[in-house]
Amino acid sequence: MQGRPPSVDRLKPAVLALLLAALITLPLADSVFQVPIQVSDSLEAIVIGAKYPSSWSLLADSAQFSSTTFRPMRYQQARWLVQGAAATGLTYNSVFRGVHVALMVMLVLLFLVAIRVRSWIDVAAFAVAFPVLVGIHTFAAMLQEAFPVNHFAEVGVCALAVFVLAQQPPRWFFPPLMCLLLAFALSVIESGAMVWVVAICCAAAGMRGMTRSSVVAATVVLGVYLLVRNALDISSPGIGGHGSGFGGTFYSPEELTRRFGAHPLGFIAYNVAGGLASLLFSEPRQGVYSLASAWKTGGPHPVLTINLVASIATTALIVWYGVTHLRVGRAAWSDTDRMFAVACAVMVVNAALNAAYIKDEIISVGGLFYAVASFIAVRGLLETIPQRRRVASALIALFLMTDAGLWTFRAAGVHYVLRYDAFKTRNDWIEVLRPDKREDWPTDPQELAITRRIRDEVILRSVASPSFMPRWADRYWVE
Amino acid sequence: MADGFRDSRFGIRDSGFSIRAGAAGFLAALPCIALAAVSAWWSAGGLVGRGLWPPDEVTLAEAIATRNNAEALRLIAIGADPNQPSRVRGGLLSEGYDVVVTPVEAAVGAQRADSLRMLLAHGAVIDERELRILRCYERVRRDSGVREILDIRATGEPSTTLGPGPDCSGVRLPSDRAD
Repeated sequence: MQGRPPSVDRLKPAVLALLLAALITLPLADSVFQVPIQVSDSLEAIVIGAKYPSSWSLLADSAQFSSTTFRPMRYQQARWLVQGAAATGLTYNSVFRGVHVALMVMLVLLFLVAIRVRSWIDVAAFAVAFPVLVGIHTFAAMLQEAFPVNHFAEVGVCALAVFVLAQQPPRWFFPPLMCLLLAFALSVIESGAMVWVVAICCAAAGMRGMTRSSVVAATVVLGVYLLVRNALDISSPGIGGHGSGFGGTFYSPEELTRRFGAHPLGFIAYNVAGGLASLLFSEPRQGVYSLASAWKTGGPHPVLTINLVASIATTALIVWYGVTHLRVGRAAWSDTDRMFAVACAVMVVNAALNAAYIKDEIISVGGLFYAVASFIAVRGLLETIPQRRRVASALIALFLMTDAGLWTFRAAGVHYVLRYDAFKTRNDWIEVLRPDKREDWPTDPQELAITRRIRDEVILRSVASPSFMPRWADRYWVE
Repeated sequence: MADGFRDSRFGIRDSGFSIRAGAAGFLAALPCIALAAVSAWWSAGGLVGRGLWPPDEVTLAEAIATRNNAEALRLIAIGADPNQPSRVRGGLLSEGYDVVVTPVEAAVGAQRADSLRMLLAHGAVIDERELRILRCYERVRRDSGVREILDIRATGEPSTTLGPGPDCSGVRLPSDRAD
């Protein structure tokens, strides 16, 4: 190896990590692509986006489509993609689903760039953390639904991009680029504020690429966004704006208003704590603790046990790393420690966004950073092995292999979840343009033409039926 | 070893990375490597239409029996006759043996009022003889939505009480028609 530049030695582990990621991502991309365009949340946005006479009028009007949301780019993107389909001759399904696949690939690539695989020990840690990234329930949430583009995946891409930039030496274009990413994320969904949170956390942890000017610029963008919302009289959804769980039960918006509307503080605290617990332990889901009702059904479902054990093991590892590496004080932190601190802080702040209701998608950015933290913690543990006794080393190897095995099983289950979703979504289209309910059909010819075209595309594309998939899979992969 | 490099049994060569750490790292990476290998197999299979869980070839009745209305509609769109009996493999409407049924019989067997409604809207015809069979079949595979549709066709109004129902003597149910 003598005489060979160190960068060449670093290349091999990076290439192997990329290869592993590519092999696992490829069929996953196929599974994501097979989920058709949805009726709910997607069709309306596509039709509205396509019908407007100009992008400017759409942009102006979409600011006031809702009294609780400000998502102008949601409709604009749908319009561009419809136009893209017309320009290229591709099907709507190919264009919209292709964008979703592209977003997933970007998430994977940005994760790879963020964790910087340079050595063989990094490859081993990556091999544990990558299934965490794909297998955590918040990642599947970014793949299952689209509105018609998954805005949470877009926010995830922007947040990871800012995190990657913060690791680099500062450059003149970083502040405008970060502002652009933040502005875009905020224009698709309110959770876009997580991009600002990542920037602030990076600055607080002392990451070198996050300069004072970047923080100030990003804060100005967020301030302008809040002012615009205020000027347009757009409020945030409160308790009862969305259904959510409490204890072992899921409540409708009306029930939540009745139960907690008058005294919401306890419920808000429950949601914030629940959001963090969901990231760290995979429980609760949508605010519901399945464990709470497990005794009624004769013990926990296998999927619950698998998710819980995998998450507890990884969270314990993350806690171990935090306790052993961060207590020395910020000034003594290594670059890796700073990354780790950012990842943990992002998870905690992300949980706070669940104040009104808990949803897997809302904590999806936290899920990405959970995988980053797990990578750093696993690498940290592997690095201690040369100083440990043989028995301890063997136990660590066994622990990591078991944990990685459980996460890998969860990651494989994403295919099943997506197949199931594809089946359900395709069958939802049966209720659209029913021949026995012509009175419900759109009267606008353009709207009817778009709806008919998407419906025909979806119906003509066969997807797997859960009836012909393994029966045991429901118990092990679906919560 | 001057700069801390060391070879492990796995051919791993890195600064400060001991043989034991290499072995532990390799074991930890094994599940991911296995998933990557299986994923490669799925991808390769996908190129020839045999990847992970590809769509199954089903008959129209089978699509209905598996609650796959979208697939049923696709089959009708490409020319399948909604009145033609076809094979439904064992385990879907019957335990352990295949049956030959019409799509509307499959809808009743699968307790799917929505499927029945869809078939009727897309050209399925129920004559008197078939209606009797379907009503008797519904008595075995009870579904209030299906019963309402069938009762309206038989009597002009939905039944509100559990009355005597149709005369099922001598009726051979679709689930008894083994292929």
